[in-house]
Amino acid sequence: MNAVKVDKVAKTPQQGGLRQAMAWLHTWSGLWISWLLFAIFMTGTLAVFDDPIGHWMTPEHALEEAAHANDPPLPKVTDRGHRLELALDFMAKEHPKADMWEIWPVQRPGHGLSAYWFQPSGGYGSADLDPLTGAVVEHAREATERETIGGHHFVDFHYELHAGRIGVWIVGITTMIMLVALVSGVITHKRIFKDFFTFRPAKGQRSWLDAHNAVAVLTLPFQFMIAYTGLAFFSDDYVPAPVVAQYGMENGKRAFLADWNDAGKPERSGQPLAIPALESFAQRAEQAIGQEIRAVVLDNPNDASMRVCMYGWNEDTELLTRLSANTGRACYALATGEQTALRLPGKSDTGGAGLTRTVMSNLHMVGFGGTPMRWLYFFCGLAGTAMMGTGAILFMVKRRQRSGGEFGAYTQRVYRVIECLNVAAIAGLAIACVGFLWANRLIPVGIEQRAGWEVRAFFGVWFVMLVHACLRAEKRAWIEQLCLLAALCLLLPVLNVLTTGDSLVAQIARGDWESAGVELCSMAFGLLAAWGAWKVHKRKEKAARKAAGKESQAPSASLQVTTEGQS
Amino acid sequence: MINTILCALGLSYAGMASLSLAMDRHHGQVWGRDAAPNVRRALQLAGAILLALAIWPCVAGWSATVGVVAWLGFLSAGALLVALLLPYAPKVLFRSSLLAAVAALAGLVTFLQ
Repeated sequence: MNAVKVDKVAKTPQQGGLRQAMAWLHTWSGLWISWLLFAIFMTGTLAVFDDPIGHWMTPEHALEEAAHANDPPLPKVTDRGHRLELALDFMAKEHPKADMWEIWPVQRPGHGLSAYWFQPSGGYGSADLDPLTGAVVEHAREATERETIGGHHFVDFHYELHAGRIGVWIVGITTMIMLVALVSGVITHKRIFKDFFTFRPAKGQRSWLDAHNAVAVLTLPFQFMIAYTGLAFFSDDYVPAPVVAQYGMENGKRAFLADWNDAGKPERSGQPLAIPALESFAQRAEQAIGQEIRAVVLDNPNDASMRVCMYGWNEDTELLTRLSANTGRACYALATGEQTALRLPGKSDTGGAGLTRTVMSNLHMVGFGGTPMRWLYFFCGLAGTAMMGTGAILFMVKRRQRSGGEFGAYTQRVYRVIECLNVAAIAGLAIACVGFLWANRLIPVGIEQRAGWEVRAFFGVWFVMLVHACLRAEKRAWIEQLCLLAALCLLLPVLNVLTTGDSLVAQIARGDWESAGVELCSMAFGLLAAWGAWKVHKRKEKAARKAAGKESQAPSASLQVTTEGQS
Repeated sequence: MINTILCALGLSYAGMASLSLAMDRHHGQVWGRDAAPNVRRALQLAGAILLALAIWPCVAGWSATVGVVAWLGFLSAGALLVALLLPYAPKVLFRSSLLAAVAALAGLVTFLQ
């Protein structure tokens, strides 16, 4: 990369030192990934609130919840030993061959008694049981319940673009380039401390540069952290050599993950052993880890090597104070009754390196600190999104005034493509995101593969916006798409009233701030889009004025140097 | 929790405002002239102290580990607010940061226990 960079710089008119080289690198590495990175950042920012968005997208569920909001809390489970027996009976009867039985015997929202197992054919099986009788509870999906991927759409899109492993790799490479752009951007920005707080609005290119610098510099710790932890998240994909060296090529990753998730899993011995009552072990584990037991995992049932592991629940208040989301865990060899492993909540049973890995991924997912931390991440994420957007726009604003002629005879055509991509990637994506919420309400409930159609609507709207951006003149495209975005965002609460009868007022009245928050945020973004459309509309007269007095308004020499150095 | 947030945000905002007003360009935006050297020194010192103090509510409200992450986030939030207010309402920035400093410092008392 170094050789290429120096080579290219030598061909550009502005020759010179490291800073110019970095400016070139920043401009071109930044530009080509800015559209994709904008999409990753925007959806990643929305993913911070995937649960509230999912809550809004399942209105039947939200209303049902609201109806039971004033019910007394479910009593604490006192018959856990009995529930464990029921689940063990069920497993012994239905899945005696499974290597692993997992039982959730505790009363929490959505759980009463559940059983999970590894199927001999591979994969994970599950069943919900009646906590009183142990009978299987059949979940016939009600016709009124809408099938949706919910807020997870934004999570999935931002790390794999709904494209599986290839998507993970594309996002990873993009993130690497983002780190290159961040470092080169910092080196390029020679007045980083002098311009720390500088934002000069309504000055065209100058303002775009200021905005780009301000959001990037002021949130720099967050931008580095989120890009770095995002890469660290998939370290065993992106940097597989250590795992291959330790575990070999064949099934190396599977062996690594097995060790990672559960070191010391016993081998089957072939000697039979009856399953003892597990409740006493659950009580011992609760004493040892100081958390209520969530899951009881039984390895090699009915074998002498049988081991039971008890996992705790993380209470919300616990996650306020620690970066690691690991729960407590205590394991017992059932042949001897001896405790074989103990992990306290927040600690790791794979040592310092393991804890680091857990903390890295939790830092990325903001699984700590509660709602205030989520809002901090949301605003820093918006700043990052703005960094990509302003960067991409700045490129064109600069070249609208004076073409760089980088592509010879094709320069104007390439610029036109960049213009289209700017509109489609920024305004178009935002429309696709709110369009996804509209699709949730407009697609008929009960059609086949409904969740898939919502995602298809997202991509469909985005594609239509790309086509629209290519067909219309740049300024018209911006205005039209921003107006559409404003309308869709501002009318989202109206759509909700018309389709579900649930209004913003009602949501606030019953204290459903998750649903209300989605609609209030949507309206805030709608106002922002309307303001943007109005600003672009006003730009018309300004551009004309500028053309008239172009010569007299030539930027001062020093300004020229800084902008030159910048982009 | 709301106390923690307001305190941390107030201190980072006031600290960043103080640091910005120590710079000639922004001092000029509010008062129309450059800062005298000792005023500049005082503003820088006040800014640094306020930003450092903002760690306190974060660590008290969350923990040493989560608090540091929160603190960095609040620093960014405070700085963004300052950068946005400076060109549009410099006087408001000065007055509100003064108010924020006083209120947040008073709020710190609640973390003494």
